Amino acid sequence: MPVFVEDPAQFSKQRLKLELVAHNVPLPAGESKKQVYLDLYLKYIAKNKAADFSSDEEDQAQEDAVQEPSVSQEEEGQQNEESDKMDVTQLTDDELKAEFQKYGVKVGPIVASTRALYERKLQRLLDPAPQPKQNGTSNADQYSDSEEEDDESGCDCEHPGPEPAAVTVTESDQSQLRDSRPMKDVLTEMFPDADRTPTGISATRRRPIKGAAGRPVQFKYPDLPMSPRTVEQQELQQRLVPLWVQVVVFLVVAALLFLIYGAMEDSLANPFSALLDNLSQEAELIEDSSSLPDSLASPDAPPLPVTGEE
Amino acid sequence: MSNTSQKHRDFVAEPMGDKPVTALSGIGEVLGKKLEEEGFDKAYTVLGQFLLLRKDVEMFSEWLKDTSGANSKQATSCSQCLKEWCDAFL
Repeated sequence: MPVFVEDPAQFSKQRLKLELVAHNVPLPAGESKKQVYLDLYLKYIAKNKAADFSSDEEDQAQEDAVQEPSVSQEEEGQQNEESDKMDVTQLTDDELKAEFQKYGVKVGPIVASTRALYERKLQRLLDPAPQPKQNGTSNADQYSDSEEEDDESGCDCEHPGPEPAAVTVTESDQSQLRDSRPMKDVLTEMFPDADRTPTGISATRRRPIKGAAGRPVQFKYPDLPMSPRTVEQQELQQRLVPLWVQVVVFLVVAALLFLIYGAMEDSLANPFSALLDNLSQEAELIEDSSSLPDSLASPDAPPLPVTGEE
Repeated sequence: MSNTSQKHRDFVAEPMGDKPVTALSGIGEVLGKKLEEEGFDKAYTVLGQFLLLRKDVEMFSEWLKDTSGANSKQATSCSQCLKEWCDAFL
């Protein structure tokens, strides 16, 4: 818990709200005056600062403020989750947004049709956050909780990081479905590694890479949605005729065409040549027949009947 | 995801125009009717919701399951379809 030196009365309204949210203090529904937030702040946070931060006290305080009679008194952990759930549905749109900003998650417009979804997402963020699997590694203690959360959820809006631990929440069927899917893509890359290396050294190295570099992780996300698509395209291409078949078919067709052309050439060439031969023969015959009478007429003409014919 | 339906390919192939919700892959008669009751009668209204959720496939699938009672496969199919449509035409 941070130690505040400043006077809370000088905080901006927004900051007061954020502080309250950060300390799990349920905000009053709807917009209220700054004084209301200030009172809440002084009541809970200042008190918590003075006394040691005991969860019992927090529970009491929350019970007072939540105004929800249904808050069950069981274990403390469950109590906290419960109160988070209450908060989520009571937050205004702005507060919901602020809550996501606290986790570094980008949210789209919170409108009537999307609000329920964001509420549930926030719930999932809130619930499993304290118990992600990396915390099991010993060296993770060197990093403060808040920093961790920021690293995890700050990568990208659709980072489903803390999701898998969401066990308790609403409809068990849906949450299971929801959980199984992220496990497939991102989490199998991140969390199982953390599990397999109990030394924690690799875990500490992984975390800075995630947080500081940020980019390699972000590159992963645009890739993931793309990859199924490329797979589909590849399959589409495979479903169409493969390349070698295309080549073979082309060759076969080309050979066929060539054969046909060759056959046609033969059959065409013959009549043409025959025709040409005929023509030349006829021409020769005509020449012969025309030259014959000249040659016959010019000499002294022993064959008289020819001239008589003319 | 592993194999795309004919409906998926048809939808992704061209601008959606005024197509009904049932043109979306994964949305059949029953889900289409349910969505129409919710006011999502055209494919573009569903696209609007998809865009509101920042093209987040996870969130959209969840929404679709809530709204229309689709199962996981249908929801994934539909969101994948919209996502690819957006990649191609937005």
